[in-house]
Amino acid sequence: MVEFQRYKLKNGLTVLLHQDKTTPMAVVNTLYDVGARDESEQKTGFAHLFEHLMFGGSINISDFDKELQKAGGESNAFTSNDITNYYEIIPAQNIETALWLESDRMLSLAFTEKSLEVQRNVVIEEFKQRYLNQPYGDVWLELRPLAYEKHPYKWATIGKDISHIENATMTDVKSFFKKYYHPSNAILCVSGNFDNSKIRRQIETYFEEIPSALKPERLNPQEPKQKEFKSKSINRDVPANAFYYAFNMGTRKSSDYYLGDIMSDAVGKDSSSVLNISLKKELELVTEINAFITGSLDDGLFVISGKLAEGVSFEQLDDQLWRILNEIKESGIDAEKLIGIKNKISTAKAFQEQGLLNRSINLSFFELLGDANGINEDALIYQKIEAIDLISFAKNTFVKTNCSLLKVCNNAK
Amino acid sequence: MPNRNTAPTTQKIEKISFVKPQELWINESVKLLWMPDVPNETSRIDLYFDAGLRKDRNAIVSICSSLLLSGTKQCSSTEIHNQIDQLGAYFDIGLSHEGVLISIFALKNNIFEAFCLIYDSIQDAIFPDKEIAEKITEKRERFKINSAKVGFTAQRKFQEKIFFNTPYDELVQISDFDNISKKEIVDFHDEWIKNGLYKIAVVGNLDSKEIIKITERCKPSCISSPMTYFKNFCNAAGVFHEEKKSAVQSAIRIGKTMFNKTHDDFFDFSILNTVLGDYFGSRLMKNIREDKGYTYGIGSTLAETGGSGYFIIGSEVGTEHREASLNEIKKEIELLNTQFIDKSELELVKNYLLGQMLKAADGPYAMMDLFLSVDAYSLDMEFYNRYIERIHQIQTEELKSISKKYLQWDSLSIVSAG
Repeated sequence: MVEFQRYKLKNGLTVLLHQDKTTPMAVVNTLYDVGARDESEQKTGFAHLFEHLMFGGSINISDFDKELQKAGGESNAFTSNDITNYYEIIPAQNIETALWLESDRMLSLAFTEKSLEVQRNVVIEEFKQRYLNQPYGDVWLELRPLAYEKHPYKWATIGKDISHIENATMTDVKSFFKKYYHPSNAILCVSGNFDNSKIRRQIETYFEEIPSALKPERLNPQEPKQKEFKSKSINRDVPANAFYYAFNMGTRKSSDYYLGDIMSDAVGKDSSSVLNISLKKELELVTEINAFITGSLDDGLFVISGKLAEGVSFEQLDDQLWRILNEIKESGIDAEKLIGIKNKISTAKAFQEQGLLNRSINLSFFELLGDANGINEDALIYQKIEAIDLISFAKNTFVKTNCSLLKVCNNAK
Repeated sequence: MPNRNTAPTTQKIEKISFVKPQELWINESVKLLWMPDVPNETSRIDLYFDAGLRKDRNAIVSICSSLLLSGTKQCSSTEIHNQIDQLGAYFDIGLSHEGVLISIFALKNNIFEAFCLIYDSIQDAIFPDKEIAEKITEKRERFKINSAKVGFTAQRKFQEKIFFNTPYDELVQISDFDNISKKEIVDFHDEWIKNGLYKIAVVGNLDSKEIIKITERCKPSCISSPMTYFKNFCNAAGVFHEEKKSAVQSAIRIGKTMFNKTHDDFFDFSILNTVLGDYFGSRLMKNIREDKGYTYGIGSTLAETGGSGYFIIGSEVGTEHREASLNEIKKEIELLNTQFIDKSELELVKNYLLGQMLKAADGPYAMMDLFLSVDAYSLDMEFYNRYIERIHQIQTEELKSISKKYLQWDSLSIVSAG
């Protein structure tokens, strides 16, 4: 059980406190309710570029990292299609430093031209490193626009086109900050070894004077229901032919998320999963095969991906894959297998909750979903899932007209 | 109104209390370490085998370690994995030059059973032909994918230069997977897994009877004389480049032979390494990422082997920035050799390192890992007290002289690919 307190400051900032007297450390986690899905199609990659700029100095503090490191702390951040999350890990006695730093950059950034210019270049190198300079690196840049036609999930967090980053201006940066970076669009979670009344006073001191603003409306175009099977082939200089089947599924808050999570473990998590046993071990059609869900806040994807064994055609794989998926739609997942998966989920959850940082990020994320206490309710939802629920998930999801297929073909073949 | 222009006052970390795990000796060379005080249901068992890459051809060793759970006379690979799943357990197999580390994770009520299952399956592995063939195909595919990455190419070249002319410099080739016989794998397993267990580490609030049972079960596979390691490394200095026309980034690896925790200069060099490249505000990050924007990341590390160690700088930079990046790296190293690190920067690094140390000692798992990381060199927790003391005391003059002593540009192996 993860205990926490929750309250709101006058300016709209949601605060979560999670006290842990067993650790000498503290974590200050700040989640902003903004991600790549909030970008306009002409200016993609912005939420992520902005994450970089948040380390480039704030209104009263020129060097964020330096001040944090002086206090023995460290920080990092990540951006997804849904959220942007920042954290500081710091010795508990110096927690005030993290509050000082995080509140100042919520108040206002320094907005220097130098920082913008350098971070544009850094993000371009990140783009090359992750997406261009390795085999299969650009798969998600291709798969997203195939699976999503209207919804902004059709671009990756790094952006749809690198020119959007190259052309980012200071005006864009400032208006993005104004719209999304203010108390009512943020969740602050402070955890670790602190004195309860002292931390409340400190949070009030640093955060309450930050001006409030209206939480922005989210008016994303919703993805229309897919009506026919979509498929695309791309030729790349890759060692083996690869396939990515993406099936539409529900949101993070729907039961689909939990069903999809268990189903993906059952069919493609490790060597004892259904697809690994049948397609890799028995039929030798693939050299690797995986299944996972994107777990996004709006409608997500259930993905089955892998690489074809030499001499095997996409059609051979397709026939066998659908044969197995159809079997699952009929008879579901083996009862013993389901127990094993649930047991592994319990273990994984216990290990995750070991870490203070994990607890802080999860509390903030569940609060965004509607209630931080979700962190304590999640496990039970998994345990309640029954074989029959998985069959209905399979029947709804593993349907040809609900699927987009990306094939990455070796140039030479 | 808060004072936003001045940093809040901070407190320095003076002392950290380190907790040593319990030790149970199985024979004169092998012990079980146990950290019983865990405030939750989780547990972990680590098994260390002297079956590292240095013991035989890379391809044999890596196939053997990745097939340790591939089947016994009684159970197929799938059956073993299903049983592990039923216990809600996870495992991880790590292979290095020095050994194989098998880690088992489970809730404490299941960990003993998971250990028995995994330990027995590893000891009784029979390496079915089909499993070997499948693993070889998988390794070959993985190798082809990796070969397309500049980081992989540079790392291989670096390995060749840093471990020059020693048993550690063998690079696996794709053809090595063509001529592997089952006999070689089985022989390797007999020699180094069935008779190569050299350490056990348990974190978790287990029943002490279970701990005794673990030692009893493991006894037959324990080594009987202490581990020995290769010591005499000397890197091949020079500049080496592997051309790859289509690459949009170049990988850089720069380093030289150094030492491990047993060396007198270990503390000083570690602190120097932090200044240069081991944290987000390091000289290399500040210059090459945060000022020039040549890279997404750059860092340096002091890596250790059983009998030695080496220093390495690594980065992936835009191909058009390769020369400029190498020049800047050289410039930063020369600055450390010739100029004093100023007081405020040194103070910052000291505070940062102490904060990291505090974090590294947070909780029973972290504490066990700290202990394992000194126990590997026959040192104990006192090492960390001495390190903290050294961080407090070290002066800028001493860092300059340690830099001059070890970081001469001509003594480095400078590798790039792309």
